[in-house]
Amino acid sequence: MTVIKSTALAAGLAAALLGTGPAAAQQEPGLTPTTIKIGMFAPLSGANMAYGFDVANAAKMYYDKINKEGGIHGRKIEVVLEDDRCNANDLVAAVKKLVEQDQVFMLNGGSCSAAVVAAKEYVVRNKVPLVMLNASGDGALYPPTDYIFGAFSISQYAVGGAMIDFAAKTFGAKKVAYVNHDDAYGAWNLEGAKADAEASKVDLAVESVNPTINDVTAPFLKLRAANPDALLIVTYARPAALMIKKAAEMGFNKPIILSVTGTANLSQLMQNVGGPDALKNFYVQDVLADLPGGPKIKWVYDMYKQSYPDLAAKPDHPQAYMPYGIPSAMSIVKALQAAGPNPTREKVLEAMKTLNFDSGVMAGPVVFGPSERAANKATIFIKFDGTNQTLQPGVYSSRWKFKG
Amino acid sequence: MDTELIYLFLQQGIVSGMVVGSVYALLALSIVMIFKTSEVPNFAQGEIFMAAGYCALFLLVFQTTPVWLAVPLTLVVAFAGAALFRRVVLTQVSRASGSPVNLVIATLGLSYVLKGLVRRTGFGDTPRSFPALVSTDGVMIGQASITRLDVAIFLTALAVMAVLFCLFAYTKVGRAMRAVGMNPKAARLMGVDLQRIHMLVWGLSAVVSAIAALLISPKILMTAEMGGIVTMAFAAAIVGGFTSLPGAVVGGFVIGIAENLVGLFISSRAIVVAPFVAIMLVLIVRPQGLFGGRVAIKKV
Repeated sequence: MTVIKSTALAAGLAAALLGTGPAAAQQEPGLTPTTIKIGMFAPLSGANMAYGFDVANAAKMYYDKINKEGGIHGRKIEVVLEDDRCNANDLVAAVKKLVEQDQVFMLNGGSCSAAVVAAKEYVVRNKVPLVMLNASGDGALYPPTDYIFGAFSISQYAVGGAMIDFAAKTFGAKKVAYVNHDDAYGAWNLEGAKADAEASKVDLAVESVNPTINDVTAPFLKLRAANPDALLIVTYARPAALMIKKAAEMGFNKPIILSVTGTANLSQLMQNVGGPDALKNFYVQDVLADLPGGPKIKWVYDMYKQSYPDLAAKPDHPQAYMPYGIPSAMSIVKALQAAGPNPTREKVLEAMKTLNFDSGVMAGPVVFGPSERAANKATIFIKFDGTNQTLQPGVYSSRWKFKG
Repeated sequence: MDTELIYLFLQQGIVSGMVVGSVYALLALSIVMIFKTSEVPNFAQGEIFMAAGYCALFLLVFQTTPVWLAVPLTLVVAFAGAALFRRVVLTQVSRASGSPVNLVIATLGLSYVLKGLVRRTGFGDTPRSFPALVSTDGVMIGQASITRLDVAIFLTALAVMAVLFCLFAYTKVGRAMRAVGMNPKAARLMGVDLQRIHMLVWGLSAVVSAIAALLISPKILMTAEMGGIVTMAFAAAIVGGFTSLPGAVVGGFVIGIAENLVGLFISSRAIVVAPFVAIMLVLIVRPQGLFGGRVAIKKV
């Protein structure tokens, strides 16, 4: 657990004990006259830490920036951070601890889509605002509730559809091979993909694989037998690398397009697929406004270097998804500012529902509405040859719409 | 599905299944070896496999140790670690309580310790590739496409199996191991040092698991969770008959081929279910496994 600004907390507690805080500070958990306590959770260890460790760091450094600039209506943001290991059980335990023991005002966490959905029932029942980090968490966003906001990286429904859109427009694909996970996360992106495939008159050959699969010969062979114009891989990093490697071994030379969920570490991916030869016709989806470290988002990387000089000096840091933490933290800051000097959870939730701004970090704007809880639906594509990344023209999205 | 495609799928499913099945067979052998001599299902076998893989990765990639040194070093570390665990931990647990359940719990403890140790190093936080020691250029067997690495995996696994069978059939220590497996009390009366044999069996079993890790790691990518593959080895052991070494080998090939054929002819989603369906079918038709011999009833 990391507690930031403990002195501010002590001052806040003293003020509260003296009875000098506003009425709201006494009623709402996690609020003092000088602080707002936010409970964060992300994978800080384990095989999936690349999905959230530096994302949480990015959100924290943005809160630090706001604190240095004077905080929000005089209150400093205090972060309590827990490790959820991308595991549903650990995540729910972390959420309960943050709400019941640490008495946070609101939650800002979740980097893995399937795991974060497990917290839905608890946060809705307890009416705690949950603003996800970089998880798409579509299962918690649809149908919309009053308490959960997410998809600051991108909605999984949008991922599937945008990839079909890219394949159809860029390569004129009429038949697409599509690999997803055989879980809820896989079902969300497939639903989006089907919507765009129907609109673009693209035939889909789908193989759904278990994330723990070891031998991908069977699914790959079936997809190749469909004679597709492109292979779309919408899985986490490990099954994705196995599929790309198998495609190279079996001489598959059509375009391979990998979703953002499988791109946690491109240099490691290059090694895992057996070298650059497997990436001759290879594209990755991304949701940033520019190439990683590109001019439009350089400020985020500079801020990271300044905030975490020791981490920045290590290889593979910042991790690929680091900037995704910024729009999430920005949204919380904007909602807290809009809620005024005496914020309540309900006021912040109302403000969240009206957010519409460009974070300057992601490919699309953060847009919420009365029944819209998925922030971003836009995506870019990058050609990656094992060393160089080349931005492809255009921004893509899905035609999928929630029909609840 | 047309006939040509069925024929292609059949060939590919069998050939690919035999490659991965040969590794399942090795792991199943390592499980059965321990079970036969101590009647303890070793639930840490997958993590021994995983830890040995990471040991080799550390030596080869992070310490740039030459292959000729890294491979034997890995095998020695695996042997010593498992033999010491048998001598230090299991002997103590056995003395403290005669219940086999406690021994099983101790093996579960070892699995968590090994996983924790690998995570602690930080190497297990990212899926990593293990350098293939053999070229991954393609080879055609009939219409089936595999790699030279696949051929090397299959042949090495067969060679290891052959060495094991020779060890058990023709050497003094191998016969002693078999004797302990058949009747430990009688073996002790005949002068066999049970403690030493148990340590040797655990060490040998770890060496076989380490070889399986060196063979399959370039194909599956390494994570701290890769020991989960042992589920397939347990399935293979059950299908073959949990007390039969030849059964473990046959079970490994059956599971490997079943996985691929189910994936090709039924559904990719069903791949993870296939081993359990195979277990259920075998348990219904032949509860002792394909090579399990007669069902023995112990009188108490």
